[in-house]
Amino acid sequence: MASSDEILVKLTATLKDFTQDWDNEFEGEYQRDTKLLGDLGFESIDIIQFIVAIEEDLGLFKTPFDKLLMKDGRYVDDLSLGQLADFLVAYVK
Amino acid sequence: MNAALPRKTKTLFIGLDGCTFTVLDEMTRDLPGVGVTMPFMKKILENGVRAKLRSTPNPLTPPAWTSLMTGKGPGVHGVFDFIRAEDKGGEVYWTLYDSRDVDSEMIWSMVSRKKLSCAALNFPLTAPPPKNINGAVIPGFTPAKHLRRNTHPRELFERLKSEVPGFDPKELAWDFENEQQAMDSLGPEETHKWVRYHLPREEQWFRIAEYVLRSDSPDLMAVMFDGTDKIQHQAWPWLDPALLKAEPSEHDRLMREVVLEYFRNLDHYIETLVTLAGPEAQVFFASDHGFTASTEVLRINAYLEDLGYLKWAVSDGSDMAMRREAANFANLDWSGTTAYCRTPSSNGIHIRVAEKPGDHGVPPEQYDAFRDKLIEDLKKLRNEFGEPVVVDVLKRDEWFPGQHMERACDLTLVLRDNGFVSIRNLRPVVVQRPHAAGTHHPDGVFIAYGKGIAKAGEVERRKIVDVTSTLLYSLGTSIPSDLEGEVPQAFFTPEWWAEHPLKKGARTRLEREGSEREDMDAGEKQKMIEQLQMLGYME
Repeated sequence: MASSDEILVKLTATLKDFTQDWDNEFEGEYQRDTKLLGDLGFESIDIIQFIVAIEEDLGLFKTPFDKLLMKDGRYVDDLSLGQLADFLVAYVK
Repeated sequence: MNAALPRKTKTLFIGLDGCTFTVLDEMTRDLPGVGVTMPFMKKILENGVRAKLRSTPNPLTPPAWTSLMTGKGPGVHGVFDFIRAEDKGGEVYWTLYDSRDVDSEMIWSMVSRKKLSCAALNFPLTAPPPKNINGAVIPGFTPAKHLRRNTHPRELFERLKSEVPGFDPKELAWDFENEQQAMDSLGPEETHKWVRYHLPREEQWFRIAEYVLRSDSPDLMAVMFDGTDKIQHQAWPWLDPALLKAEPSEHDRLMREVVLEYFRNLDHYIETLVTLAGPEAQVFFASDHGFTASTEVLRINAYLEDLGYLKWAVSDGSDMAMRREAANFANLDWSGTTAYCRTPSSNGIHIRVAEKPGDHGVPPEQYDAFRDKLIEDLKKLRNEFGEPVVVDVLKRDEWFPGQHMERACDLTLVLRDNGFVSIRNLRPVVVQRPHAAGTHHPDGVFIAYGKGIAKAGEVERRKIVDVTSTLLYSLGTSIPSDLEGEVPQAFFTPEWWAEHPLKKGARTRLEREGSEREDMDAGEKQKMIEQLQMLGYME
């Protein structure tokens, strides 16, 4: 089973490839606390596409991301790379 | 992918989303003051063969194109809509169907396994592109920001940027907010802008198709133009000859001009691609469904409430409740609901079955009787003129056979005017539209032209699953034995048919990438059964 930090490294690589063509003003390094919406300007469709990209790169399918994206019956306001990495620990072999 | 190879495209397939002979015949006629809008298509129709093409039971883009690409029905391939959504305690969790949800092998993979090459441009459900494709895939319905990552092979995107003049992913790709407008009611100014927005989009796809055809000459070259569907949704009154006004207003004239411009451009794209493919190629055209006029609105959940099958949730005015209402997803009190429509695009009704004693819903042993009574009630509904509104009700076990049957609505409605239902909590239950609107008709088009194609005019209607078999036959490969469709012999000359006997081959093979795909657990299965469809075919 991969650790959260190991997954974070992979997420960062996926994210760099994923946002390659974007008109993105974010100039810092991707960190554990980098927020998808707040820092990277993600929209809802980008989150869906990013989930597909993560699954493709990590060899996953039908991961229950709703457990991460919804809390108490409503969508979370934002998501950090660290939260994503922690969540994926249970699913990445 | 190598210009030095003396290869030549054998089969050119041009998809025309939502194309219908109602419009195509109009565009290929010599109209007073207009002339022939599509002279090249006129030549194709006069020298080739045509048939109506019956779509999937719910004639909707994702299931229909997936059937066209797999040769199998939705109950087998498992795609029923664009959007997959689940109710999570009153909030909707939604995501998009993608290629990994297609549970049948697509023609691109079948062709690649036969060591032939292909190009698939702008087809839905081809993102993320499978890696085993021998050729090019640029998926449709993908936002510009995500096009590069979803292009196969990846270097093709860079080639397009450097070698296709004017290549602009932003102009080419799916704009979610813009596309949503196809289903909304727009004002005159917006409608004109909406149609014009699609002209450069189609030009972009044409340029890419031209580039791929010229540089790669894949054995199977396939491109789909989707402006036909989008424009017909909003501009049907200016396309259907039965609806054209004798005394058009200035706005009518503007609309007519821009839709004719669109089809004139399309004719030029088709002529260029067919000419590039050369005289040895066989050319096929098909649409996923046809189009017609919808004249009334059925508020299906309001009707189900009247009959005691459904109870609306009481909104508490909270942010969550407001979002729930805005999601165009039926917001219901589950304790008082046994049958309901989840989304307009589904045009169907789900029956809530009690999984275990104490659950709300219909006891399993009463399901058949409950369903029969519901069908009877649905067929009783009349509009203000005394006409039946629901003309047919399709049971999923009869119309969606296959391992994914349980994802389908229990009942799929066929409305008098082929319209999509509304799920809004409004009255009256049936209301006439102020103006006719474009809606999907189950009969699309299937046309063939070129070497070995019969100059046969119109022949018997075909099924959408026939397209896969026909393209494989045209390529000279065997037809997998588990495809549902058949090759229409009437499309080919007797000489061609005699020289090219149809070969049946091994069953299709669905190759998943990696071995990580795990069987769904019980919770996942329930989630899939409870998937919701909410493409905004809004009233």
